[in-house]
Amino acid sequence: MPGEPLEPRLAAYLALRLPQASGLGVEGLERIAGGASRETYRFRARWSEDGNPRERRLILRRDPPASLIDTERRIEFAAYRAFHGSGVPVPEMLWLEEDPAHLDYPFFVAEEIAGFQASPQVLFSGAYEVAIPKLARRNWEILGEIARADPVELGLTEVMDAPAPDQCWRRELGHWEAILDRDEPEPLPITRAAIRWLRANPPPPAQKVAVVHGDYRTGNYLYDEAGEIHAVLDWEMAHLGDPLEDLAWAFNPVWSFGQGERVSGLCDKAEAVATWEKASGLRADPAALHWWTLFNCVKGQAIWVGSAAAFLSGANKAPIMVYPAWWLMNAQDRATLKVMGKL
Amino acid sequence: MTPSVPAVLAELGQLCVRYADPTAPAAERAADLGLTAALLGIAAEVWDGAAANLVDENRALRRLLGLQGEDADLRLSALKAENDRLRALTIEAHTAAEAAQDAARQAEIWSELRLSTERRRLSSALV
Repeated sequence: MPGEPLEPRLAAYLALRLPQASGLGVEGLERIAGGASRETYRFRARWSEDGNPRERRLILRRDPPASLIDTERRIEFAAYRAFHGSGVPVPEMLWLEEDPAHLDYPFFVAEEIAGFQASPQVLFSGAYEVAIPKLARRNWEILGEIARADPVELGLTEVMDAPAPDQCWRRELGHWEAILDRDEPEPLPITRAAIRWLRANPPPPAQKVAVVHGDYRTGNYLYDEAGEIHAVLDWEMAHLGDPLEDLAWAFNPVWSFGQGERVSGLCDKAEAVATWEKASGLRADPAALHWWTLFNCVKGQAIWVGSAAAFLSGANKAPIMVYPAWWLMNAQDRATLKVMGKL
Repeated sequence: MTPSVPAVLAELGQLCVRYADPTAPAAERAADLGLTAALLGIAAEVWDGAAANLVDENRALRRLLGLQGEDADLRLSALKAENDRLRALTIEAHTAAEAAQDAARQAEIWSELRLSTERRRLSSALV
């Protein structure tokens, strides 16, 4: 929203972090469309160092005044750092700043991985059709790598709570149901029916307590025309839990982006499961996967409802808070019906 | 739709006024105005049928719930308030039908819920 320009304040902050730099300036600051849980900007930092001109393309990810989800940016930052340099491609994290004195809200700065696409609309425009088979394989392989990773070795158990394997589903369902109870702007009979079914038919305990990205789907990674994935983004909902939660989030029908039965718009479900199982070394039990897919319909609805609540409370009246509520609440209801076999 | 169309249009109007100021910071302009255009498109799409859809749905829900009555106040805000009341009662009826293991009643309710998503479906819907 219009207000005090960010550029000079961001430049002042970077100058603190780069004491060897002189004449540091911020250019080309631009908000990246989408993303209602964080405000994401790209920009170029330019400065002189030892008499030589320097330039770096960077990303600023700042908390908004109110978000559709309340998440801990320290955990997001830690998740990115944990996977940097691994088989799970992520951008390099540079600085985490939780003092709101600098840019009004907490934020972090990361490298920009430039030159690639993230947009599902571009991906499914027809121009990338040749790349989709490889992209599908890489998508499920990388998700399998996340599931295979050891949270202790990654140091993530120091910043994330580890539930017992038989409590993963209960914790997640309780969390998102409480958000619905708090934020629901109107009665949601389909979502409430789904919650009753989930509670009456709990899944088996998790095979392992793994890193769960929490929002792994088409639209949250950078891809190229050859079908390679260059960065997995948007780790703000990362936590430890049942790895099937992640696989099933990508199976939420809203993330098929109108591509019919292709999960995440990429390939059929059997192919996705087989690739994920091979990469993760885990098994996707069909009944458990169904439970988590329906759970993710509830989770999705809680997120869209949260955006409406932020707007209605006046905490954040930006257009991005309205768009998920208007565009996705009914689509999520239809997805829920579909997963329950009622559509 | 929630938030209501008038509340959103009022906010988008203010946003356009702010961005009309040539000294307004430009960093968010493209993203905000792009979303504004998308939201205006959705508002335009739902405008004509909004009242009719709510009246139809409220009638269907009263029929499902065995209630009498008709919408007398045709303002969208009044129709939506009545719709919220009826959908809350539908949740209660659905829960009761499940507890009673009344499959026929559950099927009736699911049928109406399926129709409710058709009424609300946007041309750009993902599902």
